[in-house]
Order: sequence, then structure tokens, then C-alpha cells
Amino acid sequence: MDLLEYQAKELFRQQGIPVLPSQRIDRPTELKGLTIPFPVVLKSQVYTSARGKMGGIRFVENTIDAIAAAQAIFHLPIMGKYPKVLLAEAKYNAEREFYIAVALDSATRRPVLLGSQFGGVEVEAKLSKISQVVVTQEFSPYYARRLALKMGLEGKLLSAVTDIVEKMYRLFTERDLDLVEINPLAVSSNQELMALDGKIVVNDAAIGRQPELASLVATIPDQAVPHALTCSINLVEREGNIGVLCNGAGLTMATLDLLQKSKGKAANFVDLGGDYRHCCPPSVLQDRLKQAFDLITQEKSVKVVLVNILGGVASCLQVAEAIAGFLKWQSGQQVPFVVRLAGDQFHSARGLLAAMDVPVFESIDEAVLEAVKRSAAPATQSVSPPHGASQPAQTGNSPLILASA
Amino acid sequence: MSEIREVRGLGQPLPAMDFAGSRVLVQGIAEPLGALYVPLMQRYGTSIVAGVSPAFGGTEAAGIPVFDLVEQAIEQVGAVDVAVLFVAPYTMLDAALEAMAAGIRQLVLVTEGIPPLDMVRLLREAESTETFVVGPSSPGIIIPDKILLGTHPPYCYQPGSVGIISRSGTLTSEVALELTRAGLGQSIAVGIGGDAIVGSSFQQWLQILEEDEQTEAIVLVGEIGGESEETAARYIAEAIEKPVVAYVAGITAPKGQQIGHAGAIISSRIARIGTEIGSVESKLAAFKRAKVPVADRPSKIPKLVMQALEKRC
Repeated sequence: MDLLEYQAKELFRQQGIPVLPSQRIDRPTELKGLTIPFPVVLKSQVYTSARGKMGGIRFVENTIDAIAAAQAIFHLPIMGKYPKVLLAEAKYNAEREFYIAVALDSATRRPVLLGSQFGGVEVEAKLSKISQVVVTQEFSPYYARRLALKMGLEGKLLSAVTDIVEKMYRLFTERDLDLVEINPLAVSSNQELMALDGKIVVNDAAIGRQPELASLVATIPDQAVPHALTCSINLVEREGNIGVLCNGAGLTMATLDLLQKSKGKAANFVDLGGDYRHCCPPSVLQDRLKQAFDLITQEKSVKVVLVNILGGVASCLQVAEAIAGFLKWQSGQQVPFVVRLAGDQFHSARGLLAAMDVPVFESIDEAVLEAVKRSAAPATQSVSPPHGASQPAQTGNSPLILASA
Repeated sequence: MSEIREVRGLGQPLPAMDFAGSRVLVQGIAEPLGALYVPLMQRYGTSIVAGVSPAFGGTEAAGIPVFDLVEQAIEQVGAVDVAVLFVAPYTMLDAALEAMAAGIRQLVLVTEGIPPLDMVRLLREAESTETFVVGPSSPGIIIPDKILLGTHPPYCYQPGSVGIISRSGTLTSEVALELTRAGLGQSIAVGIGGDAIVGSSFQQWLQILEEDEQTEAIVLVGEIGGESEETAARYIAEAIEKPVVAYVAGITAPKGQQIGHAGAIISSRIARIGTEIGSVESKLAAFKRAKVPVADRPSKIPKLVMQALEKRC
């Protein structure tokens, strides 16, 4: 999960990485109480890196200008998102701009240090100029020095960059981060360094043992808490009209792919997770299924729910019972279900659900086709079951065309 | 990136068939996942000789003696070949270090949600002790009708000659089920884990299956994100003689959207460098260059495997 710039800078400050005096601004009027002397930079706190080009960064000379600029930035969407917070920061005269990062490399399975003398907004165009050092063993400052040398630095700058990289690495490991990036790292005329912008990506799996980061993340407006934290059901919204529930990330992706191939469109989906989550083993599958159905069917655009559960320890019958329980509990207007199951007690499961007009398939392909067919059928006017195998009444006009039958 | 590529992998893996008949120790036997899967593994014929769960020493679980410490277990029951770990995420590093210190050289890490920096330390130790590590966030290894080291649902599998290597859990079973229904049994199936930092790689398993006499064809199940499919494709072109068929999940996923697996993010985490790596296009192109046929859906895999086997004869 990404932190916003002002949060990343708070962590930099704690670690002794040089940052400018700054102030978080929640409302334009707060600029009247600004403690930083003008001129000041106002920065939109959004997750997009290219905010400068879009008008999300403004220089101001006095309070009146600052309030007007802040109002403009608060009303300026960047990639469709409005900032909830601005950062007011002292202005800095950079002579040069470096790029420095610490990240995880899955190929070597090691942290990697990255650096370039050509930082700033154009860094992505100069990828070949980025030097890399893989931290193969226990970290020691010589890894940071190796990076500084590879970047082509010497003398005072070599020491200063080494020191910052070392601090970034400490931050990276102490806080279980996926990425720490400073871009640009400004170099002044007297060769002093300043972190002008920063990006931190927190590791979702580790946040449970990082209470300070967890509370920092909780202060971000509109930021979803990662599901690894709570093992709660995670619903992802899409644009279509088929609700999808699967178990396991790979199976979920495969099912969504098949749906799209058959011209079906997911309205949302839930991945219940694989069979090896410590906090929610398959023994609690039935409860989780009910919660997931509830979330999926709350979305009004859902015309059909496609369930694809490949049973492990849980049997097909247990899954079928959870579906049957949900359908009974859900009164009035019911969303039809199409179910694909594999595992023990398949036939009992099919029997149980057939009695409720819910078709159960052994093959994913067939279940997907059936779900797409039903999602394209005109809306049924009936207020209660049966739905299922019988053809729904041809009443309303569906905006969708039958994709495949 | 050339320097990165040259860093050596893990300790030497053993040929696949050496897993069959292994003496197995289960860490986390008294924890929820262990309690659930140990009986399944036992019923499949896996020889579990001891369990470890701190504070449960002296008790029994599913008829298996439980100890507080791995070295204590080995002292009592003798050497073990493989440890399967079901411990809680934040204790995985400690449990694996303990197993390696006690001389166990093959580990299967099942639990999901291990912090990647714990994996960095764990794998550094594994390299220096030449320990073979599968996972984490993995269904482990199954050799149909011989041994289950993990969570693979047995009904999906039958003995045969197709090896499956996958980054997924339930999708591995799905692919096995398609093969089984088409009459194509499996020699071995392994889920290497869906996280960004995992132990054994596609290449290591390709090498194991290339050398395994039982295996005649290989199915590689990949997904978007990371670059392990691209690396595997290059390795197949260079070093693998046996026919390989691939499948990639997530081809319609929106860019940058993560579905469950921490590794399945199209945009590279390394500071947005090389954003084209990890995308569907990149993976499909890599398999095409390596002349590896790619199934566009799981149900097409058996047909492609049969075609690949026929072509070879």
C-alpha cells in the first residue's frame, strides 16, 4: 500500500533523512496560520507521480495567493482523484536532482539499491542511467557506498549519498517496506542534499507487526486497509452485471478471463483466498461464503452470481449448503446463481441446489457460458423463485445482447 | 539488469522422485492449518514421523508425537527428509531457521502472508545451507498415489506422466483436474507460491522434471506480474527437451490491479522500472519465442499436451 508524500516525509524525518520544513493543510484557511516563511510550495497529496504537470504543485509568495492556490488544488482532480490534504513546504533551490530507491527484487530475492544522477520527472526516460546494487548478504554501509560510486559520485557527495542510502535501507527493513524512493533528491550549490519528494510502499502482509504504520495508514482518507490485516472479505468492483466468487487468486483470474472471453462482464468479484491462510482456514469457509454473497448481491447491477469453488478440505455439499442457506435467507427479489463445484459430494450438492433451481456444473466453461447467458437475458419480473433452470419471463428490455448460448 | 541475473539461485535441488517415501516432520501441527491438513496428508500415505508446535510438546496429534523443538523431535524419531510448515506468518522465519539448524534440507512453506523481508533472510540461510525451499503461500508438492507434502486436494490427481509447475493453489488443482478428466495422469505437481519472494523457481522445477524419468511432458501454469514466466520461457528454449505447454491466468486483468497474489502486479515494484515486464503481452511473447504452446483456457491444456507428445514421437 502506498503512503502519501507527507506521510513518507514524516518517516524520513524520524530516520534523519533531510526534508524541508513543511505543514499539512486540510483546509485552505489553515494557510493563515502557516509557520513556514514564504515563498512556499503547495503540493496536492495524491498517489500519482505526474501531478506537477497537471497543476498539482504551485509556488506562492503570500497568504492571499496561497489560499487561492490551495482552493484551486483542492478542486483539481488528478487522474480522477481529488486530494484530501495538501502539503505546504519551504521552497528549495536545487542545482541538480538525483534519484535513489530501495526496493525488493523478486528475481534475486534480495533488496536492491537503485541510484542515478539524473533524477526528477524525466527519470523514467533515463532508465539505462540507473545504477543497481543487490544487497546479497547482511546489509552494511559498503553496499550504499558501492551504489554511490556506481552513480559516479566522489568526495563529499559520495559520503552524503552513502549516508542517505544507508538511512533509507534501515527504514526499509525496520518498517517492512516494499519500496522507499526519493525522487528528486536535490543537490544544492554547496553540495547539500534534500529529499524533495518521496514515495513509500508499505508491505501489506507485514502491517500486522507494524502498529505505527497501521495507524498512519488508517489516517489516509478513502484508503482501504489491506485484507491481509484482517482476513476480511475483499470485494473488487467492476463495470458489468455478473457477480463472481472464487477461491484462490489464480482461479479467480482464470474465471474472470473466461468470462471476458465469452463476452460476459463482471460487476464485482470476491476471491475467498486459497487454502492456506492462517487466520481463515477452510473450516470457516461457510461463514465467509455467506458474507461474500451478501457483499456481491448488494450491488444493484448484479443480475447473476457465478460461483466457482474448487473444494479442498471443504466438500461441495458444504459449499452448496452455504448457497442454499443464503438463498433461503435472502427474501423477495432474488439474484439467480450459477454454480461450478469440484470435490467430494458433488452429486449431493447438485441435488440440493437443483431443488432450488440453481444449476450446478462440473466444468468451468459450461458454468461461465450459463452465467453469461443469464446475464444477457431480459430481467425477470418474478419477485421470488423459481429462477434457475426454467427460462425467466421475457418481459423487460435488456440492453445487452445474448452473447452465446 | 545483467548483474542481478547472475546471482546464484538456491542450493542444489534433489530429483523429483526422491520426495516419494520421505520421512516428514510437520511444524505447526497443532495450529489451525496443520490440524486440518495433517490428517489429509496421512490418509494419502505420507509418512509423518513427528510434529512440532511450541507448548504442545509431549502431546499427540492424529497419532503423531508432538515436540516443542525440531532438534528434540529428531533426537527422538531419527532423521527426517522434509519439513512441511503450517506455522503462523510471523513465526515462519523462526520455524524455518530452526528446521535448517536441525539439519533438514527440504522445506515446504504452506502459510500465506509471510513478510517478504523475512523471506529474504530465510532464503539467504537456505542458500548457505543448500536447503531446498518450496513456497511460501503454496499448496506444496504432490506425487499422485505416493506422497502429499502440502494441501493439494487428492481427488484432482491421478498417477501419470505430466508434471505440473504452477504459481497458484486452486488453479493448480483445476489444471490437474482437467488433465485427469482427459485421462492424462500426473508425475508430480508443485505450487511454487504466489508471493513476490519465493524459494524454488520455475527453472529449478523445470530442471527437476527434465531429469525425472516419470515425466514425459510439463505444464507450466503462470499468471500476470513478476517476470518468472519470461525467465522460465528463456530457460525452456535453452535447456528443456521435454515438451512444455503453458497457461497464463489474468490475461484480462486491468493493469496495476492486484488480485490476491502479492506477485501478480503488472507494474513492477522496482520503482516502475521496466513496466512492460510482467504484462500479458510480455509473457505470451516470451512463450512464443521459446516455441511453447499456450492454452487460452484450462480445458484446452489436455489437447495441447497430447499434441505436444504426439509431435515428439
